[in-house]
Amino acid sequence: MKQSFEKCLAIRIEDLSKVYTGANRETVLAVDHLTLSVAPGQVFGFLGTNGAGKTTTIKMLCGLITPTSGRICINGYNVQHEHHQAMCQIGAVLEGTRNVYWRLSAWENLMYFGRLKGRTGRILKSHAERLLRDLELWERRNDAIRTFSRGMQQKVAIACALISDPPIVLLDEPTLGLDIQAAQTVKSWIERLVREERKTVILTTHQLDIAQDLCEHVAIMRKGQLISNQPLSELLHLFQQDCYQIRVRGHLAQPLAHFPPLTTEVEGETTTLSGLFADQDELHSILTALHCWDLPLLSVSKQEPNLEKVFMHVLDNGVAINREEKKREASLISRK
Amino acid sequence: MKRALLAVSNEIRKRLLIMWDYRFNVFTQVVTVSFIFVGASFFIEGGQLDPGPLASMLLGYLVWFYARIIIMNTSSDLMTEAQAGTLEQMYMSSTSTSLLLLGRLIALLISTTMIVLIPATFLALLLGIRIPLRWEGLPVLLITLAGLFGFTLALSGIALVFKQVDALADLVQNALLFLTGTLLPVSRFPVWLADIARILPITQGIIVLRQIMLENTSLTASWSNGSLIWLVVHSAIYVCTGLIIFKWCERMAKQQGSLGHY
Repeated sequence: MKQSFEKCLAIRIEDLSKVYTGANRETVLAVDHLTLSVAPGQVFGFLGTNGAGKTTTIKMLCGLITPTSGRICINGYNVQHEHHQAMCQIGAVLEGTRNVYWRLSAWENLMYFGRLKGRTGRILKSHAERLLRDLELWERRNDAIRTFSRGMQQKVAIACALISDPPIVLLDEPTLGLDIQAAQTVKSWIERLVREERKTVILTTHQLDIAQDLCEHVAIMRKGQLISNQPLSELLHLFQQDCYQIRVRGHLAQPLAHFPPLTTEVEGETTTLSGLFADQDELHSILTALHCWDLPLLSVSKQEPNLEKVFMHVLDNGVAINREEKKREASLISRK
Repeated sequence: MKRALLAVSNEIRKRLLIMWDYRFNVFTQVVTVSFIFVGASFFIEGGQLDPGPLASMLLGYLVWFYARIIIMNTSSDLMTEAQAGTLEQMYMSSTSTSLLLLGRLIALLISTTMIVLIPATFLALLLGIRIPLRWEGLPVLLITLAGLFGFTLALSGIALVFKQVDALADLVQNALLFLTGTLLPVSRFPVWLADIARILPITQGIIVLRQIMLENTSLTASWSNGSLIWLVVHSAIYVCTGLIIFKWCERMAKQQGSLGHY
């Protein structure tokens, strides 16, 4: 039963921990008893601030870092004990690296990485041609990667990750350093991968607008721990009641200490404060404070929360996750 | 087997493509091989360039040059790949890393042979050096290179953990030039130095190659006098030790999370 449940999941992470030991024997807990599962055919957003443990987790998924404890299964294959089978299930573009050979052309890179993953012959060539045409790189297939723009290089890296047609794609900061147009192309490509090819995409990014547009499910990490793990719509819905915009006439004489982080915008004589409030009492307290500072209230309105605001709020206050996780697993089992 | 061949041929193809892209560098290396040999011979022979002793020297020198390129390239290639992120992609392939490294070594051997053959032919013609081409030399060279592979596996492993090992690689390849009987036969070394020299990766290979190629000794005779047996044992020890060190270092790098660091 357990095995068949794992096979219906694209990724299953169980009680995963990673402790790094520094040069002077000091230890750093990078990932702390992480448990989560990813259903197939969706974009799963893996979010968190720098040093939250996202990249360590992604690299443990790729078999590049050995976990201190815990277990990772990719499409039912244990990364530690069935490494080769598990690696056949994934393609990855890792953060901050080029991932491809700059001295080789786009075509040569695709041929090399295709063969590295055991693909050969006509199937490999036709797949490479399709990828290059889709990514609008076909005309420049014979040019060396070093002559490409950053966006084009990233497209080739993504194409190389997809050359063996893996069911799961790990993209660690795929839009980092790209201009708006290139980021848009990568974004549409990810959407297409899921919509048309039913691939599972694990996406880590600091660009929360992109995550909001693409992800069906998000997990948020802080200091190695999972602090939120639920469908994006549910997460946004949780905060729907708590997102307000307050407009006052005049300027704030001092910062709003002891209150949740709010976005402040000043336009002429009007100051607009917006953000998430823990409850109605908190909203009331801030309105009282504004009144005490003699700032006439212009309006108070409810807002649709966006991922950026929710993310900041969750990082500060957290969200109970265990109940959600268990509920989701139970629904997956019953679907099976 | 098919998968292994595919992995090896893939590495060879990539190596040759990159080598062609660095063709000016390759040309400079060819000139360097010739230049160092002529200069070293001139000093060792006291200003004479006598083709007789030069044949023995050239043979040793060519084996050392293989070692030099392989030692220097293996660790620096690994670090370049770590920097490029392609090392991590290699580790995510479904083929074993030892097999991929073997493929890379074979690719390196092919490219090095191309670099070595041109100056060897040029030097032989220029200085009138005659080295009889005997097929028996080929298995001896391959066994020697197998030992060298084991040594570079160990060095690659150390590079995975300690990263910048260029200085160590440089030290090793220079030590090999002077301590393995490349320019002067080991028999002319003091006993204590000869004992140290015989432990080094290419020393025994050079001794056996000189016997086979220049003294017309057969493989059977070389086996009977024990020198070929010692070469086989020597290379086998290097391969096994290299593999153990590489696997241990690889495990360490994965535990430290430093596989892709540089």
